[in-house]
Amino acid sequence: MDLKRDENEAAAQRIYARWLDISTRVAFAVSLAAFLAYATGALAPFVPLEALPALWGLPVDEFLRRTGAPSGWGWLELAARGDYLNLACIALLPLVTALCYLRLLPALLGRHERLLAAIAAVQVLVLAAAASGFFVRG
Amino acid sequence: MDAAAIPWWIWPIALFAVSFAIGIVAVLAGVGGGVLFVPIVGSFFPFHLDFVRGAGLLFALAGTLAAGPLLLRNRMASLRLVIPLALAGSVASFAGALVGLSLRTDVLQTALGVTVVAIALLIWRSRDAYGSGALAADALGAALHMRGEFHDRAEGLRIDWRTHRTLAGFAAFAAIGFLGGVFGLGAGFANVPALNLLMAAPLKVAIGSSGLIISVINSSASWVYILHGALLPMLAVPAILGVMLGSRIGARLLSETPAAIVRRLVIAVLLIAGLRALARGLGLWT
Repeated sequence: MDLKRDENEAAAQRIYARWLDISTRVAFAVSLAAFLAYATGALAPFVPLEALPALWGLPVDEFLRRTGAPSGWGWLELAARGDYLNLACIALLPLVTALCYLRLLPALLGRHERLLAAIAAVQVLVLAAAASGFFVRG
Repeated sequence: MDAAAIPWWIWPIALFAVSFAIGIVAVLAGVGGGVLFVPIVGSFFPFHLDFVRGAGLLFALAGTLAAGPLLLRNRMASLRLVIPLALAGSVASFAGALVGLSLRTDVLQTALGVTVVAIALLIWRSRDAYGSGALAADALGAALHMRGEFHDRAEGLRIDWRTHRTLAGFAAFAAIGFLGGVFGLGAGFANVPALNLLMAAPLKVAIGSSGLIISVINSSASWVYILHGALLPMLAVPAILGVMLGSRIGARLLSETPAAIVRRLVIAVLLIAGLRALARGLGLWT
């Protein structure tokens, strides 16, 4: 075994695990709090709770048409509503991976793991492109 | 019983309970959970498949994010495996999600069922590379330093492993990622055989790394569903909370569970999910 590389990997894994753990816990807690506010009616939703059973069996395009709900990033304007605040909290989950990769990058470069760092940097760009909505109809 | 006669709030509570149970099994089986979540929830809950698929992808993402720290600390997930393979998978998965939302659901279900059943049979018929001794690394695997040492506490073994057929592994993860994106299921159902049977990673390293790879792959594909409006919080949040709790328990059980039991669990989970998807696709059990 290449002990130097093994130590590098162990250190990188500890960093990734720590950031993954903390950021996932935060996303988990925020999602739970937002959901409680939404489900108890403390924060008024865009689509009323009592209307959901008649809507959640519809295809997404029909759901959007009937409710007037936005697609793309348009929902951010509704983030003060209970359901869309929840959506914003759920969207923290795919951001966790990008955050962990961004934290990992300097750690990899500091240990001269340039190839792995370059691959991780490309991954961050892919995640940013996916989140941009550029490839998704709005 | 008529679903409309049931108070609406029963469904999120039932969804939480089902997701919790799937979260435990999914980590032990090394699948994202979406492959179980979508057929089960799509069959027994009153939600449209569009929202079930969106939630399934986030469900798998949440479960693997929750299990990730423990898998990394126990060295059952290897970043040297995860980072390169997840890049190939996430690009393909994003493309697959875009394609999948424009295709007929019955065609997708049939293809998924055939694929998953085939993988289950492949694992059942094949010997685990883990038990056949160390293999020589290939040139690409050596260049990317895809190797490591894993201490299997349940078996009392220390395994010095390295990957081979690495280029084929990249191609497999691109294909798996694309199919996972198309089906809206994540990509875990095929990750373990690709890592273990094709690339010769030890079974538990394959299962642990598969979980982390899913978290990266699904992070890109899930944006397609979020930005299409195919994510309903009343469906997604109870599922996510349930699987996050369940998968933490699953991750704790994984290091202590003998590999043979994990293998049987993988086969059983894949067969059930595959046959269910096939039956739905062919209209035999909708």
